[in-house]
Amino acid sequence: MTEEDKEPGHLSDLIINGVGSAAGGTYDKVLIDGVGKVEGSLTARIFKANGQIRVKGELETVEMEVNGIMNLEGPLRVNTMKLDGILHVDGGVTGENCALNGLMTAKGDCELEEFRGVGGFTIEGLLNAGRMDIRLAGAGQAHEIGVETLKVRQGDKSLWNRLLGGIIPKLKSELTAKVIEGDDLDLEYTNADVVRGNYVIIGVGCSVELVEYRTGLTVHPGARIGKEVKTGD
Amino acid sequence: MEDDLISKKELLDLTGISYGQLYRWKRKQLIPEEWFIRKSTFTGQETFFPRMLIQARVRNILNMKDDLSLDELASRLSDTEGFSEIRLTKEAIVERNIVTEIAMSVYGPAVESKEGLYSFEQLLHLYAADTLLSKGDMSLDEGRILLRTLEKHAGALTGKPCELYFVRKMGVALFLLAPSPVELYFDEGVRLVAKVALGDLVEQLKGRLS
Repeated sequence: MTEEDKEPGHLSDLIINGVGSAAGGTYDKVLIDGVGKVEGSLTARIFKANGQIRVKGELETVEMEVNGIMNLEGPLRVNTMKLDGILHVDGGVTGENCALNGLMTAKGDCELEEFRGVGGFTIEGLLNAGRMDIRLAGAGQAHEIGVETLKVRQGDKSLWNRLLGGIIPKLKSELTAKVIEGDDLDLEYTNADVVRGNYVIIGVGCSVELVEYRTGLTVHPGARIGKEVKTGD
Repeated sequence: MEDDLISKKELLDLTGISYGQLYRWKRKQLIPEEWFIRKSTFTGQETFFPRMLIQARVRNILNMKDDLSLDELASRLSDTEGFSEIRLTKEAIVERNIVTEIAMSVYGPAVESKEGLYSFEQLLHLYAADTLLSKGDMSLDEGRILLRTLEKHAGALTGKPCELYFVRKMGVALFLLAPSPVELYFDEGVRLVAKVALGDLVEQLKGRLS
């Protein structure tokens, strides 16, 4: 199940094929195919997982690829992350780059330089990103969003999806946040209490209580805005 | 002291930085997590910062930003490494207005190292005493007790967030150093004269030195 590297000073790999479990630790590569359970925290250069994975601890890795369902019972620190499927993190997420294709949930804050992709997310804390470009296919939720640039679009606009979204709120492709702050905000289908930014576009399907902008504001006729305020000079 | 907070909006207006910059600095750990203080206001939840600290930090960042990359800046700001090498003479300290002349002449001789030079740590202790003195909370003699306390125990708390409490009971002065956050409960006759976060002092001192 596990393969020890013979060379001293060299980190070994952790490989699980099929159904298996392993202890945590520091590895070079972690490759999991199938149903894998890791009983402790993991540190690895490369983490690739296909299938159903549970890690009972933290995960720190440079490169991460997940296909399937992954549960992480601790914070995640990662450089580049590619996610196809569902990732659930019982803590915060810090990283450089995240390509999302599916669902991500995090109990804590999420800090990323680049956050783009298709899907949905639930961040219970602050979502702090440099560039964020999301096509929503499912609900996007964050307590607070702070970004440099943010672009939100609805991913799939088919009738079937809209019908499902009407029945099951979780599938409704909308972004919900208390506060959204950033320099350039380009929003569609967004519900927020407060949107503050430098240049703000409130697009179709938005409902915002208060918009504060510095340089410019563009509002789609179909959007609903409670109050708009121009701040600064 | 605790109420000396600045709202995020006010900070941006005063310093001219943008939301994006602020969040980028947070990601790069140029601004510590603990400084983001959430408070509910009538418009909902808002973020506040310790006024002195954040303003000094933003000034420091803006001043150094052109010469250093953000990552270099982060390492520069997060520790006192760059300053630990510092040795200043008494004259230089007074001239650069880091510690007032009065505090320097009263406490200086007791603190200085053999060559008559002051390290960052010693300077910090003097600065702490000077801050309390200038507020008028503390007498010159009490300052000596403070310096002894700091000299003896501050070392054990280096690198941890830590607060200095100054309490009086029936005219007797007491100093406490405690890692924060901590809750202290005193008996009735005790008056909390001052509470200072050492981190605040370090930050202000760094600002004055750079």
